[in-house]
Amino acid sequence: MRAMTFPSVALRARPASAAIRIKAWLMGGVAARGSAASAASVELAARLDEAGRIWTAHLGTAQDQLRHATAELLEGFTQILHQLDAVIETGAAAPGAALVANALDQRAAVLEHCETQLRGLLQNFHGFVQSRDEVMQSVRLLAEESASLGGMAEDVAKIARQTNLLSLNAAIEAARAGPSGRGFAVVATEVRRLSTESGDTGRRIGEHVRDFGKRMRTALSNAAEHTEHDAGVIRASEQTINQVVEQVDTAVSQLNERAAELSARGEAVRAQVEQLMIAFQFQDRVHQIMDQVNSSIASAVARLQQSLAEGTVPGAEEWAALLSAGYTTQEQRCASSGDAPAAAPSSNDTTFF
Amino acid sequence: MAKTILIVDDSSSLRTVVKLALVRAGYEVLEAGDGKEGLAQLDKAGKVHLIVSDVNMPNMDGITFVTHVKAHPRHKFTPVVMLTTEGQDAKKEQGRAAGAKAWIVKPFNPPQLLDAVSKLILP
Repeated sequence: MRAMTFPSVALRARPASAAIRIKAWLMGGVAARGSAASAASVELAARLDEAGRIWTAHLGTAQDQLRHATAELLEGFTQILHQLDAVIETGAAAPGAALVANALDQRAAVLEHCETQLRGLLQNFHGFVQSRDEVMQSVRLLAEESASLGGMAEDVAKIARQTNLLSLNAAIEAARAGPSGRGFAVVATEVRRLSTESGDTGRRIGEHVRDFGKRMRTALSNAAEHTEHDAGVIRASEQTINQVVEQVDTAVSQLNERAAELSARGEAVRAQVEQLMIAFQFQDRVHQIMDQVNSSIASAVARLQQSLAEGTVPGAEEWAALLSAGYTTQEQRCASSGDAPAAAPSSNDTTFF
Repeated sequence: MAKTILIVDDSSSLRTVVKLALVRAGYEVLEAGDGKEGLAQLDKAGKVHLIVSDVNMPNMDGITFVTHVKAHPRHKFTPVVMLTTEGQDAKKEQGRAAGAKAWIVKPFNPPQLLDAVSKLILP
């Protein structure tokens, strides 16, 4: 028996005209070919069954892949959102403005703390200089005291000179007294020796006092120079501290601006990711349409097989009803009726009951 | 304390998207893959303040599910928002007759869903 050829090329090329050809072929086959047609019908039913099985399998594979890929994408986007939340450190309860305000408060607190610490160090330095000035004041008093000591040493030298003169007079008087004055002359000699030693001692004291005074004045002079230098150092330190605080303030301010900018960008990215996730609702519609196509293929194959067995053709209304059974979307209804394709709705009003 | 919303939808990706919108608005979320799972969740859950349900689902569809919810001893007053690709008035009428309080056609946008939720959710 010659195998009958199913008009598959025509079906792929122009589905509508192919359907007419199939119908004619079936009708013609049944009427003209007799028993050969019966065998062909069985074979055609098998082909339909195979086609239905293959289409259903392909649709199932496509749906599985779509489900799997969508689930993975949504999981990935969810992770991205969580990471963005962690980076931005905000949730629904902590908007970006509050974050920035909080950062400003923190910046002010940190700067105040730094400035207090630095100025505390400077205060310690002030205290040290003040202590040194007090010591130098004592040294200054000592120097004044040393000046009076110099006067006293001068007095001692003066007394020694007068005593020496007195002893000289005593020696003259002792010589004039003759032998009776010899003892007195010895005394006068000793007095002169003592006055000489006293004078030497007084001179040495005076020299030491002058030397001491000179060293004191040098020390005071050096201290005065240091005081001037220290004041300059303190002024420079204050200036440095102010500059450092200002630089830190600027740096922190720039960091805060960057942080705020990153936060804003992060929020924008998060909003975009959320929108992308919302857009994945298309997948639900696609699945519903594919589910219906799947179901429709099975129904159509079964009905065509029945037609082949009975040698009949499904009525137009019955066929339309079979194909449209299970429609859930407006796009399906429009496609079926031949109306202009309906776009998937992007936003709808809510119907309240 | 956060209010609890049950999402019933056979599409896990749709549940993820609805959950995202609700959780970020501060709600706690329970999930179910069809009407039967939804009823099981209600049986073991404490107070559920609102239900968001699909219509076309395997095992038990959304309309049947709402009918069961309205007969549930503890959850019969829980408002149900239908979230579905179905937009036909006849279907909406079925939902209304079953006891649903609102009908939103997918794709939804989060403010639209949150608006309906805030208007209907139990105190």
